[in-house]
Amino acid sequence: MLETRPFLRMGPGRAAPLAVPLVEARGVTREFQMAGQTVTALQSATLRIHPGDRIALLGPSGSGKSTLLYLLGGLDTPTSGTVTWPALGQGPDLRPGKVAFVFQAQSLLPPLTALENVALPLLLGGQSPDAAEQEAAAWLERLALHSLAHQLPEELSGGQAQRVAVARALVTHPRLILADEPTGQLDSATAQRLLDVLLASLGPDVALVMATHDLHAAHRMDTLWRMQDRQLISVTHGPEEGS
Amino acid sequence: MNLVWLQGLLARRPLRVWGSAAGVALTVAFLALLLTFVSAGRANMTRRAVQAVPVDWQVLLGPGTTLQTAEGAIRTATPVKTLLRVGYADVAGFTASTGGTVQTTGAGKVLGVPNGYRAQFPAEIRPLIGAADGGALLSQQTSANLHAGIGDTVHILRYGAPPATVRVAGIVDLPQADSLFQAVGAPKGLAPQAPPDNVLLLPRATWDTLFAPQRAARPDTVREQLHVRLNRVLPTDPGQAFALITRLANNVEARLSGSAVVGNNLAAKLDGAREDALYAQALFLFLGLPGGILAAALTLTVAGASNAQRQQEAALLRVRGASEQAVVRLGAAEALVVGGTGTAFGLALAALIAPQLTGGLLRPVDALLPALVGLGLAFAAVLLPTLRAVRGASVMAQRRAVGRAGTPLWQRLYLDVGLLALAGLVFWRSAASGYQLVLAPEGVAKASLQLEAFVAPLALWLGGTLLALRLLGLLVAQKRLTRVLRPLSGTLSGVVAASLGRQRPLLLRGAALVALATAFAVSTSIFNATYNDQVRVDAVLTNGADVTVTGNANAPAGEHLAALRALPGVADAQPLIHRFAYVGADLQDIFGIDARHFTDVSTLSNTYFKDMTAAQALARLQSRPDALFVSQETVNDYQLSLGDPLRLRLLNARTHQYEVVPFTFVGVVREFPTAPKDSFLVANAGYLARMTGNGAAEVALLKVSGNPQAVVQAAQQTMVNLPGVQVTDLATVRSRIASGLTAVNLAGLAHIELAFAVLLLAASTGLVLALGLAERRRTFTVLNALGARPHQLGAFLNGEGLVVVGFGGLFGLVIGLGVAQTLIKLLQGVFDPPPEHMLLPWLYLLGLLVAGLISTALALTFARRASGQRVTEVLRAALG
Repeated sequence: MLETRPFLRMGPGRAAPLAVPLVEARGVTREFQMAGQTVTALQSATLRIHPGDRIALLGPSGSGKSTLLYLLGGLDTPTSGTVTWPALGQGPDLRPGKVAFVFQAQSLLPPLTALENVALPLLLGGQSPDAAEQEAAAWLERLALHSLAHQLPEELSGGQAQRVAVARALVTHPRLILADEPTGQLDSATAQRLLDVLLASLGPDVALVMATHDLHAAHRMDTLWRMQDRQLISVTHGPEEGS
Repeated sequence: MNLVWLQGLLARRPLRVWGSAAGVALTVAFLALLLTFVSAGRANMTRRAVQAVPVDWQVLLGPGTTLQTAEGAIRTATPVKTLLRVGYADVAGFTASTGGTVQTTGAGKVLGVPNGYRAQFPAEIRPLIGAADGGALLSQQTSANLHAGIGDTVHILRYGAPPATVRVAGIVDLPQADSLFQAVGAPKGLAPQAPPDNVLLLPRATWDTLFAPQRAARPDTVREQLHVRLNRVLPTDPGQAFALITRLANNVEARLSGSAVVGNNLAAKLDGAREDALYAQALFLFLGLPGGILAAALTLTVAGASNAQRQQEAALLRVRGASEQAVVRLGAAEALVVGGTGTAFGLALAALIAPQLTGGLLRPVDALLPALVGLGLAFAAVLLPTLRAVRGASVMAQRRAVGRAGTPLWQRLYLDVGLLALAGLVFWRSAASGYQLVLAPEGVAKASLQLEAFVAPLALWLGGTLLALRLLGLLVAQKRLTRVLRPLSGTLSGVVAASLGRQRPLLLRGAALVALATAFAVSTSIFNATYNDQVRVDAVLTNGADVTVTGNANAPAGEHLAALRALPGVADAQPLIHRFAYVGADLQDIFGIDARHFTDVSTLSNTYFKDMTAAQALARLQSRPDALFVSQETVNDYQLSLGDPLRLRLLNARTHQYEVVPFTFVGVVREFPTAPKDSFLVANAGYLARMTGNGAAEVALLKVSGNPQAVVQAAQQTMVNLPGVQVTDLATVRSRIASGLTAVNLAGLAHIELAFAVLLLAASTGLVLALGLAERRRTFTVLNALGARPHQLGAFLNGEGLVVVGFGGLFGLVIGLGVAQTLIKLLQGVFDPPPEHMLLPWLYLLGLLVAGLISTALALTFARRASGQRVTEVLRAALG
């Protein structure tokens, strides 16, 4: 089992080592039927994620990174094996609130403004429109996006749109953020700034799993998980060890 | 390369190719069926017109023309099936001594009828009592006037010769008296001559003998006519048939150097039929074209869903070195496959079902236009997007259906207001000209359709839809829908409203199609329902009731009312007195009714009476026993004012003389069940019976609760011993009515229209919504990823459904009602009498609603399922 706990470096304000895991996956395999053939997208993944983890998921395209993220976030169900969320509850209760996604690009809803996009998870969670709007505005302010609050996604640059997507992920104060190549379509400087914002905004007990091709981005995480041929093959702890 | 590309397309993009081809097939089949209907209708009208003519030509010979010359000229000009010589002699009157009194009539006519005439022209003479041929036959009216029956002696008061005596061998009815006694050669535009009140038919040899002296003394009172049945295959189009028959008649007249005149009954009948044919064309344009436009729009929408795909393909092909021409050729090949397959299937479908729906076969000439439209549509749907793609028009620009939409050009130009104003103006002009849509001047070969009148409903349809879009755009913008959506969407209502507002162009496009389809379906179904009801009203007007037993003075059907009422399937029976009365010197039909119970068995439309409803008319009739309704023509001729006394002469049963009976003029009647088209009178049956000493009703009207055919047979059995009594039902009369388009069975058109309307509405609602939702599948998948519950996802989906189907359908309903009303007004000429109000076919409208709801529900369910399925793939495909 890939485990982050024994190697966790305790920084100021970080979670306690013996916390209940947020996600636990055992022998998770995901297969799809395509054109009458069975295609394996992920094979026998076993892992555990704890509060405060910062994990980079590295691997070439088609190695199963996105599939693993969607399974961990309860967006998809495994063909075999189990995914549980010991510290979060049952799958249907995870979103919106406890688990949030940041996608690669174009994940903002085109007909909604930045403010409305950020407020959307709160509204889906049952908050009143006024409260949701206030909270969303506060997060946009915090990410220096307040001037863009009433812009539509098509009026934002790629970096701005991704920052709004980060704000939308953070607005519900999730315990686990799953980011699927959030910097994949950004230039390196913009990607760097986005990651700065994301990491700076995370609370100490919020776990982040980020699928990425970008080694620089990966090395800003505490843990690197490598995937190859749809399998989770190795774990490296800390940027020092991984570099 | 083209073949490989096409194989790839068919293998990988079957929906795109076959979906577009299906749209083309639908459009082609619809147009082909409509054209077949029009052709079949025209052929039917010509056939009916020919069948309805008792004698094709009545050639009046001038003094210097011999029979041989005339016959030779006619047979040279055209093949002839039958040609018989009929003598016409004017007489001063007839007298008869019966029952101790002597009756004398006014002027009359004696016809010399050759042997075999009745067999060759069976519609002219209907035997009632006694001999049918070979003796002196008295017309029914003359028999009543003279009180003469079989075996009685009648004296003919000849001009220039002493009275001649004949013995009555039979009593006959002359159903086609108007044409039989027409003034052949009278100048066009002259009012038709009324047939004589007194007629006697003699065998030709007898007539020759009796009228030889009169011919010598008064040659102006004895004439010869040749009655001709032509033996010619006519063009199926009534207009062409009319032109041909007119030319032939002119040819005969020219050959005879003007010494003979052709009374062209066949041309006169075809003249009326060509007007009906133009109305059929009008119906095709009014009812058919919107359906065709809609089917084409739907095809373009379906094909348009693949525009982004085409853009990508074009870009990829260009990147890999394909020239612009090569990409366009590939697009043309796809268009050819779509157009060719769709057109072939559409025509095959039309050919298959045309005989059942239209009663005619799909002719190559009727297939040509739909085939061209099908190919054109395929090129517009497939090739144009490819051309745009090649020329670099940005697909993103095309798909820019979401965002801060500007005001469309048509809104800035107020095209909607302009079109509605145009519709109003054209409608007002049509109304001012009495809705004269078809101009077919009597006797003139050229007929025309007022095409500009079509602008009114078309502009109303399009302008109304654009105005609806403007209003819907205002409603959707600025979150105005928040309050409406609150019950559906709860706390999400604001964000759903905002989302809908910013997808305005996309949603309005869908709503426009739904509104157009709904308006088409609603207007078509209302028109059809109103039309069908009016056909029934027309049949009731002609027949009088569900089943009518028509007797005569000698055998009144009313005397058997109790027996008729007791027949199985008869709900009620009422007597109707039908006699004749002199208004001055004019003999008119007079009807006596029981005003309290007449509508128990028959139908009276408000349009039958001037300045009052049918109920008010009946009340006025009951208000005084001597109340009398007269025709407008009589009012004009005699300068009558309401309340004026009117003295009619009616035959008294006790004295056998025409005696004066006083009446009071209480109103104008335009039409009345069983009444003729020209002048007639309506009075109280009780008063009529009392004043004439004769309570017998000649006619019995039956209301039927069972099978009319069974009632007809039973009534015929009951009346079997009464000579000359006829039993008719609505179906028989309906098939016999030869006036207006109601003569043509529009059921085929109705079936085509109504079936396509449902199909188009279901496709517009479901397909358009589904395509729109599929285009935004990513949006719904992201919502799913954010944690939206099914009911929250439903809030977004239902919001779109509300705008596209709900508001689109609602506006379409209102527009449809307006268009239906306009159509009914403009096509008044089709109806006889014009309808008082439009009839809503509730069952069909409910069916439309159900079809719309089912297709909408299917589309929403599909979208909901699609947004939850294989989230990872959708997200990866869409976001990656």
